[in-house]
Amino acid sequence: MAELVLALALGTLFAIGTFLVLRRDIVRVVWGVAIISQAANLFLVTMGFGLTGDPAADAPVLTAGEGAMYADPLVQALVLTAIVIGFGTTAFALVLSYRVYEENGTIDLVDLASSPFEGPAARAGEARADGGEPTADDGRSEVADRPAADDAADGGDH
Amino acid sequence: MQPDAAVLVAALALPFVAVPFVPALFRVVGQRVAFFAAAVAAGSFGLLATQYGAHGAVQLPWIPSLGVSLTLYVDGLALLIGFLASGVGVLVFTYSYGYMAHEHGHVKYYATLLAFMGSMLGVAFAADLLALFVFWELTSVTSFLLIGHHQREDASQYAARKSMLITVAGGLFMLAGFLVLAFASGDTAAGRTFVLIGTENSLIANGEAVREALRAAGLFVPALALVAVGAITKSAQAPFHVWLPNAMEAPTPVSAFLHSATMVKAGVYLVGRFRPLFAPELPSVPEWTLLLATLGLVSMTITAILAVGATDIKELLAYSTASHLGLIIAGYGLAGPAAVELGAETGAFHIFNHAVFKATLFLVAGIIAHEAHTRKLEELGGLAGDLPIVAGITGIAALGMAGVPPFNGFWSKELLFETTYFVAVEHGGLYWLYPAIAVFGSVFTFLYSIRFLMLFFGDRPSGLADDIHRPPLAMLAPPALLAAIALATGIVPQLGIDAVVQSAFEASLPVAAEAHSLTLSIPKLFSFTPYLGMSLLTVGLGAVAYPFYGRLHAGVRWARAVDYTSPNWYYDGLTEGANGVSRRLAVGLHGGAFRTYVAPLLLGTAVLALAGYAAAGSISVDGVGAVPPVPLIVVLGVAVVGAGAVARAPSHIAGVLTLSVLGFMVAIVFILANAPDLALTQLVIETLVLVLFLLVLDRLPAYYGEIRSRARGIADAALASLVGFTVFATVLVATSASPEEPIFQYFLARAGVPAEHGPFFSDFGGGSNVVNVILVDFRAFDTLGEIAVVAMAALSVLTLVGMRAQTETEMAERPESDSADDPAATPATDGGRGPPPASADDPAPSDGTDGSGGVDR
Repeated sequence: MAELVLALALGTLFAIGTFLVLRRDIVRVVWGVAIISQAANLFLVTMGFGLTGDPAADAPVLTAGEGAMYADPLVQALVLTAIVIGFGTTAFALVLSYRVYEENGTIDLVDLASSPFEGPAARAGEARADGGEPTADDGRSEVADRPAADDAADGGDH
Repeated sequence: MQPDAAVLVAALALPFVAVPFVPALFRVVGQRVAFFAAAVAAGSFGLLATQYGAHGAVQLPWIPSLGVSLTLYVDGLALLIGFLASGVGVLVFTYSYGYMAHEHGHVKYYATLLAFMGSMLGVAFAADLLALFVFWELTSVTSFLLIGHHQREDASQYAARKSMLITVAGGLFMLAGFLVLAFASGDTAAGRTFVLIGTENSLIANGEAVREALRAAGLFVPALALVAVGAITKSAQAPFHVWLPNAMEAPTPVSAFLHSATMVKAGVYLVGRFRPLFAPELPSVPEWTLLLATLGLVSMTITAILAVGATDIKELLAYSTASHLGLIIAGYGLAGPAAVELGAETGAFHIFNHAVFKATLFLVAGIIAHEAHTRKLEELGGLAGDLPIVAGITGIAALGMAGVPPFNGFWSKELLFETTYFVAVEHGGLYWLYPAIAVFGSVFTFLYSIRFLMLFFGDRPSGLADDIHRPPLAMLAPPALLAAIALATGIVPQLGIDAVVQSAFEASLPVAAEAHSLTLSIPKLFSFTPYLGMSLLTVGLGAVAYPFYGRLHAGVRWARAVDYTSPNWYYDGLTEGANGVSRRLAVGLHGGAFRTYVAPLLLGTAVLALAGYAAAGSISVDGVGAVPPVPLIVVLGVAVVGAGAVARAPSHIAGVLTLSVLGFMVAIVFILANAPDLALTQLVIETLVLVLFLLVLDRLPAYYGEIRSRARGIADAALASLVGFTVFATVLVATSASPEEPIFQYFLARAGVPAEHGPFFSDFGGGSNVVNVILVDFRAFDTLGEIAVVAMAALSVLTLVGMRAQTETEMAERPESDSADDPAATPATDGGRGPPPASADDPAPSDGTDGSGGVDR
């Protein structure tokens, strides 16, 4: 049976998480990721399992026996793994944010991006300026390097 | 006679197996590795020769679950292509020994050429559509490497890219055509198959049913067109002929091998192979003829005219190759009652003749370039005095190319005239254009053939070098042998027909058709026929026009300079335009700000998921479930409110605290869901995360949360709502269905200790908590992965924190450093990197580079 209440709750949680992920404060982005990961865990538990008390949908854990109902053990195992991995990710993201602040003096993602990335265009432009012969260049510089290195070695001898 | 599977596979595998030995042998015997390659080609040729006369299929399982098998099929056409690939291969390898003497990159050259030969044999003998496609693309890839042999030169790079783009793109069209065919065959009684020919259920054996299924689905013409695009791109037909003249950047033996005798023949081979499938014997003219015969004849004429405009001998030969391939496609393309047999004869016989005379001419062009050091037509002339034997060889081949009786090309061209004539007589009207175009195009063929021959006669241009030596034997013998074959075929055409051509053309007839035996001989020339008249008209017009060759040449060059009619112009425009687009796209997607990566990803995922639900019609939900118990509703409510508070938190500390409200509520949900293990883990982790956040936040600035513009806030809210709605719909869809037999039943049954067991048992978990047993036993690899992730995260955290300390001390040493301006030049990367200490103990740096660079030289 469709779980309307759960669907509403999870939808709201994902929406809030997404909104936070789009913020410019790096800490809020980390919060957003944390909320989404919590909601995803809830979703997994919901998938198989009847939180509604429907006995047909609940499963007994093996030796608990005597009528006690538990959530799907396979889903439990999956979510358990996911919780721990979520912790690792959050910890890493936090320390990375801290490191970003140390390096750049800001945790504002907009400021961080203010020197825009123009990798492919810039590189392509350079290649065209070179006449598109990077390999030839390499060869030349190699040749040019060798005498210099030899000179240095000679200098060491003297 | 049934083909022998082992021999066939050995013949195909031999060139590939030989490839890894080339580098090692090159170290031992140097350039004589050419003869090793020639021996390999001869080995394949010999193995194939034992299959001469065989007919039938050999099946080896490949992907049985998809019904894909490696099916090899032997018949006359396959053997013709196979003999050309391996036989011309022997000659080209031998010739390369002389030609490549002063070139470099021998290992790459011979290894790639061998791999190419193997791929070409694969194309010839593969009867399975997927195997055919794989070998087909392998020939494109090896051709790319060979065209780009002089990899440092811009022209080579351009040519290699161009041929690769055009032929591989065509190959993808062909693959789409193959898939259409395979799926159409699923509607027939024989069932879906990828086998083209040779088995009971193959597409050609059930041709009638497959054609009907295709027509019923309206896919007959699309399938035909898709396969045809593959063929005409590979065979360089207009308007895709543009890659072939550029491909002349390849070393000349490669041009002789790939771009005359073999690779470009793959396209015409495909046409010949599919002819029985697409061109049944019908009273009317099939689409096959309208498409392929028209295209072949037009392409033959256009490229023949372009050949007259060529200034370089290899360029002339390249256009001429495209023109002759057009002739072959036109031959195969002509079908219908009058032409079904004649057309196939034209195609098969001209494949043979063209390979022989064109490979000869390319090898001659290589000799000229090698000895006279130029390939410009206007700088060459009167070479017969210096190279008398080569002049004789050229005479035989060039007159064959011109279609002058009684040289070999004449016979197959005569067959084309005969076919077009009969088609025109039968259908009348506009069909008379076929013979007219054939004659018109052939006049240009005659003109450029004679122009090539005149390299050896007439006056010597003043600029020509005086020291033109005769070529070494390794370079002279291969064209001489080919010219001898051409001469023999010209004088006694029946020799070539009986050897391979008769069985080759039978392969392109409709399944039920009885083949007559083709007989051609010189005495037949003395009884006048309309098509003999066409041949004589061609030669006569050509002879009249030849004195005006210079003007024609200039006229063609003038016409070629018009942008809008040149496929090259479109090709260059397209590729350069694509470069610009991808550059802009990269900048747009790579904005640097986190949200520019996230927003398109989330939007795309949400839209795709919702579109998927809508398309599958699975939004329909089977009613709303029972209202959950009150405690659950309350807890979920608190969780959502907590999350909302996180979004609105005025400070980081408040946000973290409300975030942990959410986390603890989730733990309570787990308790309510009767998942004790989850609840315990969640509580522990949530506590740890809270502590971690507080530790880090202590060192971060307070607040950056304001929403700068209202529009941005609304856009973000809209995207967030869309994602939320997608999840809402997903949860509804996912919970409204449950599997018949949940997987956990298996784990429940197997997790405990079995009722009866010995001291050891491996098929049961032997635990009391099924979740634990799943984690450490059934899904232990998942847990291993999880531990690895946590360990990596821990190591990264340690590293980042360690780097921090170092940077801080260095920043303290460098006052007023504004590292935000220049994130790349952190002190950490600069530290301790002065000029390298010059030490006499260091070995000379050139030692290492010489050792590694010596492989290719």
